Amino acid sequence: MRSFGSLAIRQVRARRLRSLLTAAGIVLGVGMILGVLLLTVTIHRTFTDLYDSVYGRTDLIVSGSGSAGGSSSLHHSTLATVRRTPGVGQASGQVQGVFTLVTGRRTTSTDQRSKLNVSGERPGATRLSDSRTVAGRKPRSGLEIALQKSWADANEIALGDRMRLATPAGVRSLRVVGLFQFTAGLDFGGQGFALMPIAPARRLLDKPSAFDEVDLTVDGGADQISSVQRRLRHRLPSGVTVETPQNKASDVESELQAFNTILYFFAAMALFVGGFLIFNSFNMTVFQRTRELGMLRTLGAGSSKIAGSVLGEAAILGVIGAVLGLGLGVALAFGLIALMRALNFPVGQISFASYAPAAALVTGLLTAVGGALYPARRAGRTSPMRAILGTEGLRARLRARRAAIGAVLIGLGLAGAFWLGAANDTTTIVAAAGMLGTIAIFFGIALVAPFAIRPLVRALSWPLRRLFPVEGRLAADAARSDPARTAATATALMIGLALVVAVNSLGSSFLKTISDEFDRDFARDLTVQPNGFSPGQGPQQTIAHGLRDRLARIPQAAIVARERFLYLSKLPGAHGKGGSEGLLVAFNPRQYEQVDETTIDGATRDQAFARLARGQVTVGKGWADETHLGVGDPITLRGPSGTVHTKVGGIVETVVFGGQTVGMSLRTLKRVWGVSADSELALKATSKAARPALRRKVQGVVNRRYPNLAVLSNDQLKSNVERQVNQQFAVFYAIVGVAIFASLFGIVNTLTMSVIERTREIGVLRALGASRWQVRRSIADESLVIGLIGALLGIAVGGGLGYALLQGLSSGIPGVEYRPPVPTMVAVAIAGVLLGLLASILPARRAARLDVIKAVSYE
Amino acid sequence: MKGALETRELRKVYGAGETAVRALDGVTLDIGGGQMVAIMGPSGSGKSTLLHLLGALDTPTSGEILLAGEPYGELDDGGLTRLRRDRIGFVFQFFNLLPALSAEENVLLPGLIAGQRDDSTRERARTLLERVGLDDRREHRPAELSGGEQQRVSIARALLTRPQIVLADEPTGNLDSRSSREVLELLRELNAVDGQTLVIVTHDPAAAAIAGRVVFLRDGRVAGEVPGGSTERLIEALASLERTGPDA
Repeated sequence: MRSFGSLAIRQVRARRLRSLLTAAGIVLGVGMILGVLLLTVTIHRTFTDLYDSVYGRTDLIVSGSGSAGGSSSLHHSTLATVRRTPGVGQASGQVQGVFTLVTGRRTTSTDQRSKLNVSGERPGATRLSDSRTVAGRKPRSGLEIALQKSWADANEIALGDRMRLATPAGVRSLRVVGLFQFTAGLDFGGQGFALMPIAPARRLLDKPSAFDEVDLTVDGGADQISSVQRRLRHRLPSGVTVETPQNKASDVESELQAFNTILYFFAAMALFVGGFLIFNSFNMTVFQRTRELGMLRTLGAGSSKIAGSVLGEAAILGVIGAVLGLGLGVALAFGLIALMRALNFPVGQISFASYAPAAALVTGLLTAVGGALYPARRAGRTSPMRAILGTEGLRARLRARRAAIGAVLIGLGLAGAFWLGAANDTTTIVAAAGMLGTIAIFFGIALVAPFAIRPLVRALSWPLRRLFPVEGRLAADAARSDPARTAATATALMIGLALVVAVNSLGSSFLKTISDEFDRDFARDLTVQPNGFSPGQGPQQTIAHGLRDRLARIPQAAIVARERFLYLSKLPGAHGKGGSEGLLVAFNPRQYEQVDETTIDGATRDQAFARLARGQVTVGKGWADETHLGVGDPITLRGPSGTVHTKVGGIVETVVFGGQTVGMSLRTLKRVWGVSADSELALKATSKAARPALRRKVQGVVNRRYPNLAVLSNDQLKSNVERQVNQQFAVFYAIVGVAIFASLFGIVNTLTMSVIERTREIGVLRALGASRWQVRRSIADESLVIGLIGALLGIAVGGGLGYALLQGLSSGIPGVEYRPPVPTMVAVAIAGVLLGLLASILPARRAARLDVIKAVSYE
Repeated sequence: MKGALETRELRKVYGAGETAVRALDGVTLDIGGGQMVAIMGPSGSGKSTLLHLLGALDTPTSGEILLAGEPYGELDDGGLTRLRRDRIGFVFQFFNLLPALSAEENVLLPGLIAGQRDDSTRERARTLLERVGLDDRREHRPAELSGGEQQRVSIARALLTRPQIVLADEPTGNLDSRSSREVLELLRELNAVDGQTLVIVTHDPAAAAIAGRVVFLRDGRVAGEVPGGSTERLIEALASLERTGPDA
């Protein structure tokens, strides 16, 4: 040993297994942080590549006022206007859509790999994307198509093949005349890209005259771009957007911002659990080493020297854990990417950022040292008398002041969560407040929990004491002997479980509210929508124009109502200026009245629908509250096809899209935004008896000619929505799962310590005739009690957190009611029991194997 | 004078009011440099408390305590720490070696704490280990050493920084009779040959007999004193103390 500092290294090496267990939390936490970092970098790269590839040589993009979520159409004259604008080099107009590959006879899948993003351009137009033909030629006329080679290969399609695609116009067979490749090698999560001549594309997409996009280059170099942009904005209608590809890419990114932030938060929670484990473990180690520390003090080591040595140990564990965590992080990143792809989110190949490992390492190290601060201070304060006294009389007293601070923290935390829920915009400050609030709640619980341990243990161990009197009693004593330690161990488990309950309660409350609304307001019998339909998540497929009339000819169909949705990143407001994202919902007022029974404020239903027919709009309650729009107020609709000034005819009580909706007639939507394709059809049968027949016939038509569409009953519609919401949360659950797993190590650590402390007791028991199984059971019981306490705290805290968040949310989205997620709570309680049992396996085995003689004479 | 320990009316009280415990109730003692003094007494006599105060592990409630003429009863934690580091050596009843370190490293520990990393310190550690007869066991961990060997390592450790005084708290309390004899012989040598000032607290008359002076404590006060050397004389003295009380 060279210096006093190296004592820390020796201590770590001396207890290798213990050290590893302690560092396990850091390993998992750092792994999660790195995993999430790599995921977000990969997502970023996917979209950057997308824009670089598809718009490689484009300087400006002219499109409708949608966002990446599907845009509305530009008027036909837009192309000419663009070409006439000074400074514009080459301009090319396109129509766009999403086709699905038809492989089996009747079905298409919702799998990413069968999706094809198709662009229809004038043959011979200069290619403004960053791609080159690698086989065949560009399509010229008719049902010809050129495919992205990597997608063609993945789907085993060769040059010259005919492929069947489900298009809005029906299933069509197209011939592959060319293969191209993007220079940047774009991987859009399996989705492909394709090119068609514009005239046939117009027919397939049912867009006879409008454009979806006009791409252009600018003469005279990059510094001319902004002036051309200004000129175009001046000349084109105000609902048209003119952006550089970089702008559009960063728009997409900022939409993902909230998602990213939540991901980071959950990863940070995993790391937080790791830090908590360090805290708990070092507290126990310092206690165990009291005599040693006292001895060091008698040798003349000062308080700060000893504290520094403990911190040094923590730093060593932090570095080791972080380095191991890096390896785990890469694996987790792969897992997360695979998970997101399975959830139909386009993510490309994993991409690495140079700062990611360093960032993960530093956070791991800081967390480890931070967790050890309090134990290190305590270690330094060890009195030299402890060299003689040992741990006699050393149990920490429960200080009431701590409980008071804890209660205050919990209150503040709930307020922060409420504020997060209530915020209209998830700005950084608000997000930070919400997250700090959650952490504050966890800290608060950690401070308050020791006081609740004794009564909790007594209550929870009662069944165990009845079933196994000796083991149960021992277990209860063990858990009660150091309430602070038991509380800290249970709290680590609580964190993960509380997050599960909180997130789930949000989901279940929304789902229940939406489900109730569907039940209440749906007067339809069937819905026809594209497979995997989810407005707001990228370009959506549309329904062929002729299908509605075709279905209307079915004798059992009383009503076939069109629905057209358009997702906007800025809903129209009072002065044409929008703010939040939302959904435009358009329908034929007369027909729709019969398939929908939503309550409308400010008018009778007849009045409201009459107003809609006259060009007025209805506003969802959430949006009305945010913009203070009332019935009769003026509202301006500004879109790429025109601008309309109209009035609000009614306010709709809905929680769909958070109440951020604007309803209007089909004609109004077309006038302003140029949307002319159906998103969905709502059908009503002539009578209840006719329902099955209606379904059969509709299914027949759809299966034969439109395999990319789905026919759904109301129940199926509800479960679709449920699935989508749950899918969104799946990634969060995955991350929280890691946090829960990490907390298991904390339980193992505590149990091991407990076994060591009880060595003599166990020895005496065995000497008195207790069997190994009884010893194992007592450890298992102790672990079970800790697990249950963690689960109960998790349910309570998660429920409270979810409630606070929801109360906040419901101030912006009126009508959402809190529904406690009872099945999840039950599952969490069971999980607490199972996790407890799992964690007890190794320590119980060790306890059972103690040599009786050695145990009895243990000092 | 170097190594001289003095106390004047030393008192230590635990608790307050009615439940106050007077562990030491006015002890006045003079220990010259190079002396070896044993302190004996029944449990509750305050002998351990006295040793803790002498060893700067704790501070007195009142009274004076001086090392080589310098008072240290009112020093703060930092001052006491420095004393323990540089001028006082301690040997415990339970050997208190660090299980993670070898014997040699354990002996070296006080030097590392004091920041002495040079070769002369390492050499001294080895010399001390030789002195206590454990040079061939210097790489062994405490778990691989017998009780007596561990105690000898502790003694070597206590001597590393050349302390002015060495205090031993029941040094043979945990040892079998053979190891006890070895350790006591070592302590006697240290005092007789090396002139090390030694204060040992013990309840074992055989251990006390190796000292030059034996001081008796009872109820927190000095109850008497006899010269050391003979175990029988000590046992007689103890017995008479029981009979007559503290004023003899």
